[in-house]
Amino acid sequence: MKELSPQPAQENQEQLTAHLAKKSHELRNALACIRQFGNILADGLAGELSDEQREYVAIMLEKASTIRRVLDSSLDGSAGLLEVATNKIDRPSKVGMAHA
Amino acid sequence: MPNMRLLVVDDNAALRKGLSVRLRANGYEVLFAEDAISATAVILMERPDLVILDLGLPGGDGFDVMERLHRSDPLAKIPVIVLTGREVAGNRNRALQAGAAAFFQKPMEDGTLLSTIRSALNMSRDRSHLGESSISC
Repeated sequence: MKELSPQPAQENQEQLTAHLAKKSHELRNALACIRQFGNILADGLAGELSDEQREYVAIMLEKASTIRRVLDSSLDGSAGLLEVATNKIDRPSKVGMAHA
Repeated sequence: MPNMRLLVVDDNAALRKGLSVRLRANGYEVLFAEDAISATAVILMERPDLVILDLGLPGGDGFDVMERLHRSDPLAKIPVIVLTGREVAGNRNRALQAGAAAFFQKPMEDGTLLSTIRSALNMSRDRSHLGESSISC
């Protein structure tokens, strides 16, 4: 019987949490730029838009809001859920494994 | 609020550009820094009225910048608004405890950011006036 540390599983969970946080950070920065410049166009800060241009920018901003909602509810949420899930599991301090 | 100078600290050039267009359209003068070291240098040299600060920066991070600000009494009075892509958990409380006036996660609402800037500048001005009157007493 050889005792193995549960460290690899914990490291995997920490890596996954860090990976999700990094992806969320990248998406949030990109989305902030899309919304920022979309709002600048919509508000006429870069010149007046035609009705057709205004409509297209409004669609773009609406879809950006959809992405934000998805991001808020899934990617960030999944990192949190992962932590909650792992905290709820009573893992043994050491795992025994029989070797042939 | 005319003649107010805001420093935008962010390593994302597109976001700096977008913020500067919005802030200038609202009457603010805008200064820039793209890393923690130049942020501190610009604050020391230019004494902006308010700092909009990202947390993830080259050469340190936003917390390092706030820590350096709070080592100097006059600089510690400059209001800081944190604007970051980092997760809220952990970072918001840490930023507020480090002295930030407000914490926003990207993407932010322009209207909310602008009203928070106005409130922070008003509070800073009121504190400054109170300080002056207490000194004269």
